[in-house]
Amino acid sequence: MSNKVAIIAANGGMFDAYKVFNIATAAAASDKEVAIFFTFEGLNLIHKQGMHALEMPAGKEHFAEGFKKAQVPSIPELVEMATELGVKFIACQMTMDVMGLTKEDFVDNIEVGGAVTFLDFAKDASPTLTF
Amino acid sequence: MNITKTLDAKGLACPMPIVKTKKAMDTIHSNEVLEVMVTDKGALSDIPAWAKSGGHSIIDQKEEDGVIYFYIQKN
Repeated sequence: MSNKVAIIAANGGMFDAYKVFNIATAAAASDKEVAIFFTFEGLNLIHKQGMHALEMPAGKEHFAEGFKKAQVPSIPELVEMATELGVKFIACQMTMDVMGLTKEDFVDNIEVGGAVTFLDFAKDASPTLTF
Repeated sequence: MNITKTLDAKGLACPMPIVKTKKAMDTIHSNEVLEVMVTDKGALSDIPAWAKSGGHSIIDQKEEDGVIYFYIQKN
């Protein structure tokens, strides 16, 4: 049985962030080795400012109240939790170059790499998930 | 039953009950028992699945006034 969970985060909305970080923290809390590859809009999820202002899908803004009522943790809290549990964050170098972003634009302790960095981690991971 | 530690995770939503359970479990020794109190209905299946993946045993479980209690013996 594989002890690794590999996740690709390719979208940058608030719902995307919850899907990514809930699975990642749950897996890490179950003693899995977890890596998330943040690419394209997915980089938003670990962007120092961006992660505080993630948007809900158009027309779904009314769910904000539901999030509050269900006492769902905030995304920055989940990011911190994931880091604390040892989840590895890999930011896509190519996307960063295209968008003019540097490592300093992101939360601490990220690794910057290309597709092969992620593929190398994911080669014996199960499951590999894409959000 | 000797309870070594109690975790109050009432009111917390997924994935926090699991994350907090993991952290609390890290602080006790093998064979000791952790009591977990949760209100998240998802935990009803999540906590047993989590325990199974780590080889821990759920030795008792009950529900009172909307609060679910798990008694998990550490592997």
